Amino acid sequence: MFKLNLKIALRNLWKHKVYTFINIAGLSVGMAGCILIFIFIRYQLSYDDDFSNKDRIYRVVSNWTYKTGTDASQGVPIPLAAAIRNDIPQLEKVAAIQRATGVLASLDQSGKLRFKDYEAVYLAQPEFFEIFNFNWLSGKPARDLIAPNTVALSEKAAIKYFGDWHNALGKILRFQKNEDCRVTAIFKDRPENTSLPLDVVFSYATFSLKDDKNFGSVRSSSECYVLLKADAQLRVAEAALAKFNDTKYKNNDESGKQYHTFQALNDIHHNGNYGNFAGRIVEKSEIYSLSIIGLFLILTACINFINLATAQAIGRSKEVGIRKVMGAERRQLIVQFLSETLALSLIAMVLACVLTEAALPYLQQLFDEKISFSLLQHPVIFVFLLGLVVLVSLVAGFYPALIISGFNPALALKNKISANSSAGLGLRRILLVLQFTITTVLVIATLVVLKQMNYMREKPLGFNTEALALVGLPADSLSQQKHLNFKARLLAIPGLRQVSFCDVPPSSNNVSESDFSLNGARNKDFQIRTMHIDQYYFETFGIDLIAGTALPKSDTANAFVVNETFLKRNNIVEPEKALGKLLTINDVTAPIIGVSKDFNDKSLHEQISPIAMSSNKWAYYNMAVKMDAHEMLDVMAAVEELWNETFPNDVYDASFVNDDLNEYYNSERIMGVLFRVFSLVIIFISFVGLFGLISFVTTQRTREVAIRKVLGASTYEVVRLLNGSFLLLVFMANLFAWPLAYILINKWLSQYAYRIDLSIWPFLTAMFISMLITLLTVSLRSYKVAGTNPVDALKYE
Amino acid sequence: MIALSNIEKYYSNKGVKNYVLRHVTTQISQGEFVSVMGPSGAGKSTLLNILGLLEQPTYGKYEFMGEDVSALKESKRIELYRHHIGFVFQAYHLIDEMTVAENIEAPLLYKKVGSAERKSRVADVLDRFNIVAKKDLFPNQLSGGQQQLVGIARALVAQPSIILADEPTGNLQSAQALQIMDLFKKLNQEEGITIIQVTHSELNATYGSRILHLLDGVIKEDEAVLA
Repeated sequence: MFKLNLKIALRNLWKHKVYTFINIAGLSVGMAGCILIFIFIRYQLSYDDDFSNKDRIYRVVSNWTYKTGTDASQGVPIPLAAAIRNDIPQLEKVAAIQRATGVLASLDQSGKLRFKDYEAVYLAQPEFFEIFNFNWLSGKPARDLIAPNTVALSEKAAIKYFGDWHNALGKILRFQKNEDCRVTAIFKDRPENTSLPLDVVFSYATFSLKDDKNFGSVRSSSECYVLLKADAQLRVAEAALAKFNDTKYKNNDESGKQYHTFQALNDIHHNGNYGNFAGRIVEKSEIYSLSIIGLFLILTACINFINLATAQAIGRSKEVGIRKVMGAERRQLIVQFLSETLALSLIAMVLACVLTEAALPYLQQLFDEKISFSLLQHPVIFVFLLGLVVLVSLVAGFYPALIISGFNPALALKNKISANSSAGLGLRRILLVLQFTITTVLVIATLVVLKQMNYMREKPLGFNTEALALVGLPADSLSQQKHLNFKARLLAIPGLRQVSFCDVPPSSNNVSESDFSLNGARNKDFQIRTMHIDQYYFETFGIDLIAGTALPKSDTANAFVVNETFLKRNNIVEPEKALGKLLTINDVTAPIIGVSKDFNDKSLHEQISPIAMSSNKWAYYNMAVKMDAHEMLDVMAAVEELWNETFPNDVYDASFVNDDLNEYYNSERIMGVLFRVFSLVIIFISFVGLFGLISFVTTQRTREVAIRKVLGASTYEVVRLLNGSFLLLVFMANLFAWPLAYILINKWLSQYAYRIDLSIWPFLTAMFISMLITLLTVSLRSYKVAGTNPVDALKYE
Repeated sequence: MIALSNIEKYYSNKGVKNYVLRHVTTQISQGEFVSVMGPSGAGKSTLLNILGLLEQPTYGKYEFMGEDVSALKESKRIELYRHHIGFVFQAYHLIDEMTVAENIEAPLLYKKVGSAERKSRVADVLDRFNIVAKKDLFPNQLSGGQQQLVGIARALVAQPSIILADEPTGNLQSAQALQIMDLFKKLNQEEGITIIQVTHSELNATYGSRILHLLDGVIKEDEAVLA
């Protein structure tokens, strides 16, 4: 029976080719979207999943509460690890790990340089590898990574620096031109989906600050991981940590109250409050919004199916009647129709897999991650596909099957079942409105997202970003002596306009903040951001001053320039009043000599910080290079050559300020692409469904149209009659969509400190687009029906 | 085999009762070939629908093979369809997506007949009706008469005890109509199948053994056809 049903199902699908195509096209596109979203989410949730103790691993993080808000860091004070190892008995292991960046060089037998690169390296206590199980190809961290000046490499890093990992053992790796370390262990490469992308790990004993005792200083590069005892409860450990916080920071006189908490390992990849070593974070909220989009996709595709199937049901009524008088039970008919849906879903699924495979490279490029669609590697994907087929078959097939199988055979056999009487009509209308509500919400959201992105791209930041490059500089004392001479030679390059030494560009996430006193009065409410710049900084970046003068030529901080926000936060109304006030930061006291116009010092998600800028030649890790816009490539090539000549033992690293700024909005860029693609997909699905539905309705109303025409209705009047109901439904969908879209969009926009104002235009545009496409889709069909000769339709009555 | 007593059927419309059948009382025994005749709107089809359990009478008692079936449960009714009642329609009502052989096989599937027996019974019927050559064709590739032949074959394959035919020749040309009526007569006389047909044609009615004349829902005349 099943074989026969399947055969009949296929014949039926073939007979109604157009509707089959519409159904399969809608379903497969919807499914493909769902699969892509699923494999992306699966990949994101697989982060840090490869450790056998993963459920008991926590990271200790730092938090602060200020009067004006809160702050958080992935880092902890360096002495914390040793302290909690003693104070919190619930912890089985505690390990500190330190990140550093610098030039790494491999030496050959004769001590000559073999290969060098600028690299992120880690210094880890041996307990780290008891918490996290790495695969060791050679050596044991408990034995080989304890002595100072020992280093473990990943297979990949060993090959990079020594050609072959067997060769690497016992060889010397030099860090930052002076620290020679022996390779004692090799571990297997870390997977891509990790928040701990460790390639080069030095013993913690190598760390110069390992004995630091200052609990007041927190760097994001100093992390601490703990392993909870198997029988210990997190609650108890947390209480112990809270007690530790109380005793340690009781006499805390800093401007914010500092405390530590545990963060679960599986939260590290998903919590934007804290960073991680991999620098990759996909917030849970992003995963949720993607899931919702996936749900929307499959829902609209299912609605198409239900609408078409119930409309098509009239055509099947005769068959149902016959089968019933042959002795078919309703249950058997439901099974038959469900198996037809199943056949269709399976075909759609095969197509969806092809689409997914085709779209995968774009997804990988968009997210810059190696997302896999391998069923063998990840059987859960297979389970998902199977579940999706079954779910779609049931959701999309059950209602139509129920309707169709419920036909009264006496009526069905006499062709007395019409579109209107077969229930369904009311439901079809509701589903259509639901579908178009979803579509319209997504269209409105897309328009707003694009507008906000545009706004961020074009908002004046308060400084120049064009034709500016940032070049890294070695700041050790030896290199530091070369800076001025280097600059003089740079300025000789044609097309190069100005060079400024600094620690950070005007907008940067590399933030150092500090307490301060103004005219001797200590401020306890908030911290200010400090920047170290030379006297050419304002000129180079085109930052305007509203009072006073720029910094004088100086190697040390002998004067401050502050920004407008600094004045506002300190309740100074007139900029001139600030000049001459004495500012004390980190025990250095100097007068304020200038006030700069505000510029955005972080991404547009955040408000402008109060800033104090001063000279300090020991902090010039970067130089900003201003060029002629049309000679940028030549100038950069010349700068690189000169740089390599001047600093032969370091690694050149440069970027354009514009590109760095775009990095801030990576997640917005991805959101923008996703919204654009998925709203197009949903529009496609919805209107394909609409086309199918109008086809049926017009066929159904052929006789009515013929009668009206015989009575004297014009083609135009008939088209208007057929279109009217659909336009009304889409209009209603718009009315439902507006408040929904308004709420969602406002929520999304609220994460930006600098955002567009919501106007009525995206809403009107979305309405216009949806009505226009509806009109076109529906007219295409209804015009054809209205144009037919009424005799053809009435002849057979 | 069939006993109708005082069957009434009406539709209420805004409190006004529109009677379709009134006080229909009759008996039909095994092996009879009954023709129901009457003008349009006389209630012929409604009577046939009630006999075929497709509609329920408003009042009255309907006994089928000694069992009261006036208000039968769905499952019992399906049992009757599977084992005792075969339908033949004016518009043939073959399933368009199934071949001739599959159409004939369909009722056996619902009757849960085993695969081997299904095949042999379908082959048997195809053979008897001389349509073996057409078994893989679809209904729309056949003439009207051939389609009705398949329709009857389908009704017969489940070996029903009664065939209900609603104007079986209504859509056919006269030569084909004669063929079909001959077949009915043969089935009735040689295999003893009870047949009830609704017809407009005096000629067709003479093939049967008895004619019920219906007018405005009432049996006006119950005449026997003389051989």
